[in-house]
Amino acid sequence: MRTKLRLSVALPVAAAAFLLATGVPLLAHHAFGGEFDANRPVLLKGAITKVELVNPHAWIHLAAKEVTLAGEKKDLKGGTEEWAVEGGTPNTLLRRGITRDSLKSGTEIVVDGYQTRDHTLTRANGRNITFTDGRKLFMGSSGTGAPKDGADSSEPPPGR
Amino acid sequence: MRTRLFSAVGVAIGIGVLASWTAPLAGQAPARPSASAKAPVNPRTPDGHPDLQGVYDIATLTPLERPPQFGNNMVLTPQLAKQLEEQVAQRKDQAALPSRGDRNAPPIGGDGSAGAAGNVGGYNNFWIDSGDSYVIVNGEKRTSIIVDPPNGRIPSISASARQRNAGRPVRTTSDQSEGNDPGLEGPGAYDDPERRPLGERCLLGFGSTSGPPALPVLYNNLHQIVQTKDTIMILNEMDHDARVVRMNAEHVPPSVRKWLGDSIGRWEGDTLVVETTNFTDKTRFRGSTENLKVTERFTRVDGKTLLYRFTVEDPATWEKPWTGEYTWPATDTNLYEYACHEGNYALGNILRGARQRDQEAAQKPVNK
Repeated sequence: MRTKLRLSVALPVAAAAFLLATGVPLLAHHAFGGEFDANRPVLLKGAITKVELVNPHAWIHLAAKEVTLAGEKKDLKGGTEEWAVEGGTPNTLLRRGITRDSLKSGTEIVVDGYQTRDHTLTRANGRNITFTDGRKLFMGSSGTGAPKDGADSSEPPPGR
Repeated sequence: MRTRLFSAVGVAIGIGVLASWTAPLAGQAPARPSASAKAPVNPRTPDGHPDLQGVYDIATLTPLERPPQFGNNMVLTPQLAKQLEEQVAQRKDQAALPSRGDRNAPPIGGDGSAGAAGNVGGYNNFWIDSGDSYVIVNGEKRTSIIVDPPNGRIPSISASARQRNAGRPVRTTSDQSEGNDPGLEGPGAYDDPERRPLGERCLLGFGSTSGPPALPVLYNNLHQIVQTKDTIMILNEMDHDARVVRMNAEHVPPSVRKWLGDSIGRWEGDTLVVETTNFTDKTRFRGSTENLKVTERFTRVDGKTLLYRFTVEDPATWEKPWTGEYTWPATDTNLYEYACHEGNYALGNILRGARQRDQEAAQKPVNK
């Protein structure tokens, strides 16, 4: 009983403190706030043209056919605009069996993030990179049986 | 005991069966033996020393510093540890759930994210690999890596150290301020690439991943030990830094400074003791001076686990030395190249953004 009581009190505080270390990057290769502009949110829709699985951060290039930047939809006059979005270290993906070839050019994706502070660049952070139906590009691994590789857009990842 | 040990090794070599090296060696266990029921297993190199070689994944949920609510309690109860680990797993599962395909862009003015995600949200959770469980030492899960002082927290740096660090333009890999700064930093922080942190410049991995002392970070927590009689190499995935420990040697002269310091080693019984000095004045672990001394102790606790214990000393920064310990579990996954300069577009983007701000500021009318 005593243990139970102590647990119920300690858990919310302890959990909050410990869980800060997961979720979003607290300390990483660089501070994203220095690179990207919080006043320039962007939503991109288009097909992947190139995948750079390089360190320190991967870059996924796409030919965006729809660009909503800082609240306004850009008029692309029926064409596309080349954008590059920054992700994390590819080594984590490699260890889960995901390679450069896992993600094919031509795959349609949706990206939301923020544009670089240099507004002449069409680059953004890949805050959330998904397929068009909202599935995450690569699934997380948690040790609870969650699928590890959802990279093939043509079929749902295993376990779902 | 020593005789028994050598005869055991001799037999193992003689019959050429590697598994024989895992014969239990009662009494050869580290000073603080594992409380697990299994007898410690201690493979050895031909020269008779414990064989520490292998690839280790040191990712853990145990933080460097203990959350204050645990006070002086270094042990997490199994129930609480299980609950916290399950919560982390659930959060990862949630982060992997689909978003809306028809979602909108994030809010203007930032998404409120903290740390290195910097109010712009960083990137998806699937890039991150920061561990699933808490460190187990002596059979008990731990609330912090730091074990001394007893509150598990880094002692405050002295007033003079704080003053010294405030005057420095160059930030370090281990500065907490990087993580706490969601947007732009102070004036001049982007004036020169050399003012950017060492991690951002690909000179050293961030967060003291390569050490010494080697600490767990958000991802790429792999370390490989390669051992010969005279030298022991510790290879760190980020930024593929190889620290070569010269056994039974003297330190290089004080005029020679190294990013990772100068490491010399010796065996104390079955524990490898590595002493590192001669750091550069730019490495500055947690605000220390170049006179930092780090003493690391590597002890094999079983066939798949090392105990890593370190003591940090720098009287010009902390009044007393402080100590941490955690286990390094062996992994059969691969350590990959981390060619940081290869694709470091981020540094260019950061500096270009600063130049654009300079231009905009120059065009604005001056209001006095």
